[in-house]
Amino acid sequence: MPLHERDIYYFIDVTLTHLNKLTGNEIVLRDPTIEFQSLVFSAYTGLLHLKGGVDGFVYITASQQFLQFLFNARQSRGKATEEDCREAISDITATMAHQVLKKFGNTLRLSEPRIFSTVPDDPIEMPPAVFVQPILWRKEHAYIVLGLASAETS
Amino acid sequence: MTGTEIFKRTPAYEREARDIRLHAPQWKLLLAFDGQRTLAEVALSAEASFAEALPLTQKFLDQGWIEEQPITLDQYLKRSGAHDLSAVGGSVPPAVVLHQPRTAAPSAAPTAKPVNTPLPAPAAPAIVAPPPASIPAAATIPPPLPPLPVISKPVEPPLFAAAPTPEVKTAPVAPAAKAPHGPMKLNAVVDFITSLVGNISLGQLLVYRVFLRVPPDLLLAEDIASVHLVNDTSVIKSEKLQKAIASAVDAVTKRPLPDSVFAPA
Repeated sequence: MPLHERDIYYFIDVTLTHLNKLTGNEIVLRDPTIEFQSLVFSAYTGLLHLKGGVDGFVYITASQQFLQFLFNARQSRGKATEEDCREAISDITATMAHQVLKKFGNTLRLSEPRIFSTVPDDPIEMPPAVFVQPILWRKEHAYIVLGLASAETS
Repeated sequence: MTGTEIFKRTPAYEREARDIRLHAPQWKLLLAFDGQRTLAEVALSAEASFAEALPLTQKFLDQGWIEEQPITLDQYLKRSGAHDLSAVGGSVPPAVVLHQPRTAAPSAAPTAKPVNTPLPAPAAPAIVAPPPASIPAAATIPPPLPPLPVISKPVEPPLFAAAPTPEVKTAPVAPAAKAPHGPMKLNAVVDFITSLVGNISLGQLLVYRVFLRVPPDLLLAEDIASVHLVNDTSVIKSEKLQKAIASAVDAVTKRPLPDSVFAPA
């Protein structure tokens, strides 16, 4: 049984809630798009594969500056290293995974978070379409991307 | 304002949205203007009484955040529940705008639409601005809709009429077959699907679910690599793609696409 839109939105919602907590509710949502041709990757990405109630993936991808701001908001001043950026994106992805597992339990299986910079090491199969929710913070972009397998709709 | 007006948010709103400060119920009303529903319907959906919605709507108009969405005769008749003139043998002027907003400067250069989703490059994401809107912004309160036209079967001209009156057209009447329509407006499809859900975010995910069922090759053949879920300006001419979208909408939402998603032929 495919998940209801409300449940699918939960992936986005928990991510936004976490980001708003980190940024003091400064996250701004831009108009989402549906992409048919390509995936969207920024500097750093944290990805989860989904199986069960919904098949596909969800990831958050953010610019280096976005993560730099996050790093500064959470820790001290100074320039975030690559490791710091990976840690920041990893933290968001882990929070998403934790919240999703808490809500859906056994009805949904999640992969281990995959963290990578620029483009994935292993190719990701492009589903028929992906849902892209752009977010903005201090003029820096990040994107929550949801890719559901076409079988999910059958 | 009578409550029958249809408003949509303007490019000016999109530009200023981040700086606007409103109370939550006012945001609810402002965000409910979708260019599809009447003011009365919007007020209802925003859980505001018409009396409450009226001054707020006026304020949004004055600020230039919303503008009136003119509708065609067909759309007007559909909304008012009247029969299509063509179905009873009358002549229907094509795409008559009944409710043209008064504009201060209709020839003014249209402003750019809101900056929409870029497909980011890791270092410097490209910003894609869709083409400008074609509908001029309303500067003043538009006049109320005219009274509902009385639709009836055309009067047969007398056998020995001295001269035909201009109202009685003797042109051959098309059979009551389905009128041909123009291209499908993608934004109208998106807005229709979104309107089926009481929540914009969930509605947008429903749109996504619909488009998961549309073969991407058909979309790409029509040069549609992405759908903007707000104010997409694409039109779909391919009949095959139109059918695929209609079928996907029907399969996912169990509702047929209304004719209003098509531009006039």
